[in-house]
This record gives sequence, structure tokens and C-alpha cells, in this order.
Amino acid sequence: MDMDKETLFKKLADAVIDGDEDETARLAQEALDTGIDPYDAIMQGCNKGMAEVSDRYEAKEMFVPEILLSADAMYAAIDILRPHLKVDDTVAKPATIIIGVAQGDIHDIGKNLVKMMLDVAGFNIIDVGRDVPVETFVEKAVEHNAKLVAISALMTTSMMNMEPVIEGLKEQHSGAKTIVGGAPISQDFADNIGAAGYGKDAVAAVRIAKKLTEA
Amino acid sequence: MARMTPPERMGAVMMGEKPDRVPVVPFILGYSAQITGVSIGDIYADGDKCFDAMFNSMRLHGYEQTPMYGYASLGPWEFGGEVMFPYGKGHSAPSVTKHPVMSIEDIENLEVPTFEKELPGGFKESDKVAKRCVAMGMPATIQTGSTFTASSVVAETSLFLKWIFKEPKAVHLLLEKVSDMFVNALEYFAETYGPEHCMPFDGGPVEANTILSPKQFKEFAYPYMEKLHKKIKELGMPAVLMHPCADQNLNIPYYVELRKKLNWEGRYFWLFGPETPIQDQIDNFGDHDIICGNVDPPSIQYKSYEDVVRLCKENIEAGKDSPNGFVLAPGCEFPPLAPPIKVMAMMDAAEKYGRYD
Repeated sequence: MDMDKETLFKKLADAVIDGDEDETARLAQEALDTGIDPYDAIMQGCNKGMAEVSDRYEAKEMFVPEILLSADAMYAAIDILRPHLKVDDTVAKPATIIIGVAQGDIHDIGKNLVKMMLDVAGFNIIDVGRDVPVETFVEKAVEHNAKLVAISALMTTSMMNMEPVIEGLKEQHSGAKTIVGGAPISQDFADNIGAAGYGKDAVAAVRIAKKLTEA
Repeated sequence: MARMTPPERMGAVMMGEKPDRVPVVPFILGYSAQITGVSIGDIYADGDKCFDAMFNSMRLHGYEQTPMYGYASLGPWEFGGEVMFPYGKGHSAPSVTKHPVMSIEDIENLEVPTFEKELPGGFKESDKVAKRCVAMGMPATIQTGSTFTASSVVAETSLFLKWIFKEPKAVHLLLEKVSDMFVNALEYFAETYGPEHCMPFDGGPVEANTILSPKQFKEFAYPYMEKLHKKIKELGMPAVLMHPCADQNLNIPYYVELRKKLNWEGRYFWLFGPETPIQDQIDNFGDHDIICGNVDPPSIQYKSYEDVVRLCKENIEAGKDSPNGFVLAPGCEFPPLAPPIKVMAMMDAAEKYGRYD
């Protein structure tokens, strides 16, 4: 007997929290097979699960190894559901965010977590990778008419390559705001270089991204 | 009190005596290249250039730190992977371009580097620095950890962190092999330079509680730390520089346990990140060890001279009277691109606020 929608969404969310990618893939397929709207399955199953993961990370109840497993589990479901999403031209397109690691830095676990959380939150994400030259951030922001540029850095050397991106955007794509994050970054440093926002972790980055793109 | 030389100052702290003022160990690595006219890449690719840059920076500024070689991504090169030296814009330390471990099978096939003929990877450069340090009466500072951080880059990092849950036995096997490499390193340096001249340097950022839970630390990091520190004790090395990098506040009970369990008479230098209040360090380790400062490195990079002096003053006031000594230091590597006036700020703060007489 098919389980009802709400039960399936709950099980999907729980499987995301548990980092069980076999189970999320199975449930995603079951959602499709039973005619559940894949958008609802993503929003009420996967996203709810990931939101709970975020809360538990903030409460220091979950840590990065668990989050990486939850992310894999979530994408196992989304990869099955996404091709079946209905295109609705009447709905406004999501804001585009350019995300990357500052020049001089190859540490991208933090960036990848933020990317995943922003993706789940419904943004259109353009990932420009790691060790990204200043010009690339600016060019990609112009090319994709981005509303936001998110830059991460783990080193005191690479964090010094954030301000030139902000300056470049002012000149070439003033419609885009910048958020910064990473181990050496603080609110004070973000204010100092003229960033519009600072995310102390992936959860905070999503919060500030929503605030800045809604403004 | 008569003015001491830097070696006398550090010697006094090591002996549990009061120096004339708080010593300054600015944890300088890449910065020494910037101010001596060589590239940061060179000091990691060539141990002799590393020694020259660090020795000259020490002479120029007059601080108490002696030359040392090490970086956070040590491990992959030694196990047959590849690293890129920091010659590019914004680069500050070697980074991994090819992880030797990308699968569980790779862990099983991984061979522990030996130190019998040619030294593996960065240890060859580290050896050059150690040789010249010991010849001049300075300690041979050798990076021998952390096993957990090194393992997390010997394997591709995301895979490694996920294997903690999915393949715990394989993770332990990798940790065992990486810690065996560090045991080999400890034995080599003790035999070559004499244990009394060696100062192991242990620490890493991947154990930080922004990444790892204290429970995971207990299961996957602590046992290998204990294994290496037992070895250090057996070999008779007199001091260890411990750097629990970034926020490791939830791991502190395990560092305390390590201290108690080994019942070691040597001295630890504890250099925590800026997230750990100095008073907490004194409460946990001050009865027997030397507490280092933890001035916020990014603030050193971008704040003014006056602000850095103020931050150092706060650090000194919090730690100066720790029962077994205090050393002014940043909470991680001194920012390689910081202007020299920021080192001067640390030195000025130590002179002005760190005097004991």
C-alpha cells in the first residue's frame, strides 16, 4: 500500500538527516511512482530535512562529517526528482548567486556547504570553483546578472583578495552585493572591506543571502 | 632585572623561572619570506632558504622564535601524493594537488614512509632546518602531527570525513599508518640530533569543533595523539609545541586527559586559537605548562598598529602571571602578508606591558 504524502515527506526528511542516500533515492522514486509533485517532495521532504540538519549544526549536535552525508543523501533524491519538475513561467526566476573561493585558496569544503545550503534555499547557484581570480568573480557576475557574489577564504593571504572583487563589482556590476565568510573572516573585517554581509557559517550565509536578495 | 637576550629569555621560561619580560613567538612562517626577499614558495620547497629567511627575520625583529619548517597539509607528499608550493597570488602554504588516498583500497595499499635512506617529502627540507638550528644551539622543531589533520589530507578530505561513519575501520587503518610515519620521524630526529635538542610540533585545524564533534575527536584523533606523545616521552624529548588550531574548546578535556595520563615531566607550550580564552588555558594547563598567547591573526593583518598593540596588551595582561610562564603569540600563523610594523606592535607590547621587573 502506498504511504500518504505527509508520511513520505517525513521519511524523506528523516533519511536526509540520517544521511541515508539509498533510502532518499528509494523514497524519491516512490514519490514519482505515486504521482507526488516532485517540487513538493523536494521542498517538504529534502529541504525540511536539510533545515533540521542546519539547526542541529548550529546547536552543535551535528558536525561536518554528518552534514556531508546528509548532503549526499539529499542530492541522491534531488537528482531523481529534478528532471521531473514542471516549468512554470509565471513564477519569478530565483536570484543568481556567484560563489567561489578567493584567489590563493584551494580550501573548498566550507564553500561547498554554503553552496549546497543556498541551492536548497532555492537560489540559482553558479559555482566558479576555488583559487578564483578577482576578474573571474566580476566577469561571471556580469555574465549571469548576479544579485549576489559569495566569497570564501581560509587564509589571511587569500582573504586580502576579497576587497578587490567588491571594488570590481562596484565598477562593473553595481547591482550585485557581496557576502564573505571563512575561518579568518569576521563581521568587523567584512565591514572593513565594504562587504554587504558576513556569514559565520553556512546557515548564517543563507540567512544573510535571503535578506540581501529580498531587499 | 638585567636585560636578557632572546635565548636567555626563552631559557628562563623553559626552566620555570621569570624572564625579564614576556617572550614573543610570533609563529612566523611565510612572513619571513616576504621580508627577506624570497618567495613564500621557496621557503617550503627548500629547507636552506627556509632557515635563512626565518633566521634573518628573527635577527631583524629580535623576537624569541627560532626557525622551523612545517605546514598544515603535511602528509600527502610524504605518502607519494603531490603538493603545489605557494608561488601564486594569495597562496601562503603548500596545498595538495594529488591525494594519495582516493579509495579504501588505496588505504590498504598505502606504505608507511621510512626514514632509512632518503627522507620523505617535506621531512627532507625540515631536516635541513633542524641541522642548522642544532648546529647553532637552537632546538630542532619537527612537525609530528596532528595525525588526524594529516590523514584528512592524505585522503581526499570530504571522503575522509564521510568515511568516519561509513568506513571507520579503514579510517583507523589510515590513522595508524600516518601516525607510524610520525613515529618514524620522531625516531629519526631523536637519533640524528639527540632527543634533548628536539621539539616536536603537533597540531592541526581539522580537529576544530566547527568540523568535528568532541566524540569524533575522542574516537579518531585522541588515540593517535596519545600514541605519539607516549613516543615523545619514551624518547626523552623535553618539550612539545602543541597547537590545537581554531576552535577546539570542546576538545580541551581530552588534551587535559593526555597530560594527566602520560604523567610527563616535560613541558608543553599550548598555543590555542583566538577562540579559547587565555584564562581557560591557564585553568587547564597553567599548573605545569607554558601558555602561549592567541592574538587574532586576521586582526594582525588588517587592523592598525595601535589596535594590534592593544590586542597584545589584553593578551599579555590575561596571561603574564600564568604560574609556569607565558609567551606572546598569535592564535595561528602570523599573517604572511602583514606589514613589518605588526611584528613591531607585538614586540612593543611585550616591552611595554610584558615586563616582570
